[in-house]
Amino acid sequence: MASILSIKNISKSYGPIQALKGVSFDVPEGCVFGVLGPNGSGKTTLLGIVLDVLLAKGGTFSWFDGMPHDEARRQIGSLLETPNFYHYLSAYDNLEITAAIRRKGKDDRDRVLKQVGLFERKDSKFQSFSLGMKQRLAIGAALLGGAKVLVLDEPTNGLDPAGIAEIRELIRELHKQGITIIIASHLLDEIEKVCTHVAILKKGDLLLSGPVDEVLVSEDQVEVRAADMAGLQQALQTMKGIKRIKLVDTTLQLACETDVTPVQVNEFCIRKGIVLSHLLLRKKSLESKFMELTN
Amino acid sequence: MIELLAIEWLKIKRYRTFWILIGFFLALLLLWNYEASQGNINIGGGRKNHGMSIVNSDYSFPQAWGSTGYWGSIFIMFISIVVIIITTNEYGYRTNRQNVIDGLNKMKFYHAKVLLVVVLCIASTLCVVLVGGLLGWLHSHSFAGFFSGFRQIAYFFLLALDYLGFALFLALLIRRSGLAIGLFLLYAMFLETILWAIINAHTNKPYGDLLPLQASDSLLPFPYPAMIKMMNVVPPSLSMTTYLMTTCAWCAVYYFAGRALLLRRDW
Repeated sequence: MASILSIKNISKSYGPIQALKGVSFDVPEGCVFGVLGPNGSGKTTLLGIVLDVLLAKGGTFSWFDGMPHDEARRQIGSLLETPNFYHYLSAYDNLEITAAIRRKGKDDRDRVLKQVGLFERKDSKFQSFSLGMKQRLAIGAALLGGAKVLVLDEPTNGLDPAGIAEIRELIRELHKQGITIIIASHLLDEIEKVCTHVAILKKGDLLLSGPVDEVLVSEDQVEVRAADMAGLQQALQTMKGIKRIKLVDTTLQLACETDVTPVQVNEFCIRKGIVLSHLLLRKKSLESKFMELTN
Repeated sequence: MIELLAIEWLKIKRYRTFWILIGFFLALLLLWNYEASQGNINIGGGRKNHGMSIVNSDYSFPQAWGSTGYWGSIFIMFISIVVIIITTNEYGYRTNRQNVIDGLNKMKFYHAKVLLVVVLCIASTLCVVLVGGLLGWLHSHSFAGFFSGFRQIAYFFLLALDYLGFALFLALLIRRSGLAIGLFLLYAMFLETILWAIINAHTNKPYGDLLPLQASDSLLPFPYPAMIKMMNVVPPSLSMTTYLMTTCAWCAVYYFAGRALLLRRDW
């Protein structure tokens, strides 16, 4: 797969604070790429840099294998941080400006307004919109002219649960149409439900990046109990593929490599003459993974 | 260039504040000059033909150009405030960012504003031509000498460019509407006059005339009536060439300083 966006060694500082420390990753075509991290981890800074509103201190990035940046940005629908529109203009007039800058026809405005459910309010001024409506308009603007790539920074900010579900559906739908979507969020649920790839940032460091099923399943936990806990722990320390063993209450938690299955653990224990009274594969939720990584 | 101006046009065409302030400029220019041409703007006036007029009320050509141009140089404040408002709006709404995200770049964004300033200068100069031409004709019922003082119109264009260029730079520098307007008025109305007085007093020459806004103000001096000019109380000045060159130099300074400012900082 060709890469839509390639980031190499990007760094950025605000005074003495290093907001990004040499971040590199590639966004493959057609994926839903989640940029994940707690508040202040550098997500928006990173997106700001690749959208040319912030200057990187070092590093490079390229869109569509080196397309000139201005041209590339016209192919990308973006929502960065907040919905930014002219308060005194209607939704319709605001979209006309977006269309003019992106060199797209303004005839597409009706379609995108219907898609985000604002068509009835097209002639209302932006300043009369609720936060949720503003956010929808921003998403509508991003969709204008059939963008190949969407960059969405916290797209569900300010939306009610129904609105959040709608946006999630919209993202799934667009993904099916082959549109590449880069989405930054601190809401894990949001990412977990729609993303195919993730990059996790913490205080400007890239902790990991890759396809969700590789990155996030790699550290499943197997829980075991047996009559002789000390013996069990000792035995398991010699088993290959187990990275860490932790005793929690009366249970041993095993952090395993990807290819270790509960069957193998069971077989190993039987060979060592230990009978397990409890064996459980605990798929790590993104949330606990995230907390572990970022704390 | 046309593309950038078309985008700017979309931003202002339904912006009421913009049109109201432009309307103020045109209305004041017309009413004030009309009253001056009728001899109604006097010191110690209050009744018709009462008090002493120190304002030239002879609006026949070519005097009409210099007088209208001078009063225009005061009302251009409104257009300067327009420039500040539409520029700081972009920062307030963060649409400066959105414009770049959508495919402009910082320099295109900047040049769109510079072009808008030039268009506003042309438009306000046309207002001065319109009002000066109308009053000149009303005053003398003849177009004799219509073109003889026409270089004053070119001076007005440069003056507008000086004021609006200064306003644009200040707006980009400060980014906040209220503060930028406040500082602009403070500087244009008081600070520069204080600096002007200090420089003139210390050098014993009218070098204060070379200050940013004063340089172009000096291109269109106060329209004293002929009688006062004969009394030789009109303050000394430098040559028109000096004022012209200084005005152009300041415009270039605003342009390059604004450019450097935007290139250096985050958006």
